Amino acid sequence: MGYLEEMAKYQKTEKQKSFSADFLEAEQVEDYEFWDEIEIGKETEVPIKFEVKAEDMIAYAEGVPDNSPLFYDEEYAKKCGHDGLVAHPLFGTQVAFYVLRKGHGSWLRTPGARNPGQVIEWYDPIRVGDVLTIKQKGYDKWIKRGKYYMRYLQETYDQNGTLKGRAYGTLILPRTREDVLKFVKGEHALEA
Amino acid sequence: MADRLTFDSVDCGDVLPEVKQENTQELTWKHAVASLDYNPVHTHPEWCKTAQVFGLPVPVMHGNQTMSLMCKVITDWAYPVGGRMKRIEIKLIKPVPVGSTCTYGGAVTEKHPLGKGEDFVTVEVWAKNQDGEQVGIGTAQVRLPK
Repeated sequence: MGYLEEMAKYQKTEKQKSFSADFLEAEQVEDYEFWDEIEIGKETEVPIKFEVKAEDMIAYAEGVPDNSPLFYDEEYAKKCGHDGLVAHPLFGTQVAFYVLRKGHGSWLRTPGARNPGQVIEWYDPIRVGDVLTIKQKGYDKWIKRGKYYMRYLQETYDQNGTLKGRAYGTLILPRTREDVLKFVKGEHALEA
Repeated sequence: MADRLTFDSVDCGDVLPEVKQENTQELTWKHAVASLDYNPVHTHPEWCKTAQVFGLPVPVMHGNQTMSLMCKVITDWAYPVGGRMKRIEIKLIKPVPVGSTCTYGGAVTEKHPLGKGEDFVTVEVWAKNQDGEQVGIGTAQVRLPK
C-alpha cells in the first residue's frame, strides 16, 4: 500500500476527504513559493474560508494525539469553565493548510520548507460555527549560515471581524524554483 | 501545588506533569491528515530516502505536532480549571525522526498579577528525545482563574 492510501484510511471529516493529500502532484508544483519570490510587505486576504465544525476540532485533537475530553465533550468543557467545545491551541494549523492552497502566502506547503519555530497569540477562542478568514503577509527575509529564512504574520478573523489569533511564523525555504523542483523529484537541494 | 489550580495557588518553580509520546510513521500520517499538512518530508518514506531535507533518510515529525504536544503539557494542567493560553513562543531545535520517543514538560517561571482579569503565569516548556536531547524549547503565557 502506498503512503497516500495509508493516509486515506484516516480521512474522516468532510474537509479531509475533499482535500488533496498529494503535495507532489504536477498541478500543485507550479504554485509552490520559493524564497527568491517572496514579496515582503504584500498582504493577502485568503479567499477560501474555513467554517468550523465540531468534527474538524475533534479531528485535530485526535491527530496530536490528545485525548482530553475538553476537545471532544462540549458538556465537560462547559463544566471546566469554557463556553463550548475547546479547539486545541494548534488547531489553526488545520485552518491554515485548508485555506492556503496556492498563491501568495502558501509558502508553508512548499516541499523542502522547514519550520524552526513559531510565536502564536490567542485573543478569542475558536468556536464551532465560526467562519474563519486568514490574512497573511511576509515581513522579513534573510540569509543565515547558507539558509534562506522568511518570517510572516498570519492573522485569523471570524465572521464578525473579531481577531482570533496571530501567528508569527518562521520558515526556511528553498531559494529558487529549480530548488523546489529538485525537492519535488526527491533530490536534495537544501543548500542551493 | 494546591488541589484546585488557581492563579494564587501557583508558585514559581511548580513543575507540570510530563507527557510522553512515541512517534511512529502511523502517528505522523494521522497528524498529516489532522493538520492537512501532507508535506512529503513527513509522509513519504521513499521520497525522504533521497530528498533528505533534514539530512536524514527518514520522515520526521511535523514541527507543529511537536508544538502541539508541548501545548498539551499546558492544556492538561490549566484547561480543566478554565485556564487559557494567551501566547506561546517555541523554537524547534532538532528534527524528530519517525521512531523517536519524546517527553514534554514544563515549569512555572513567572507570575504576572496584573489584575482586571489580565493575570497570567509564564511557563517554560520543553521537548526532549529518548537520548535526553532538547528538540524544542519555549515559553508560554497562561491565564488561570483567580
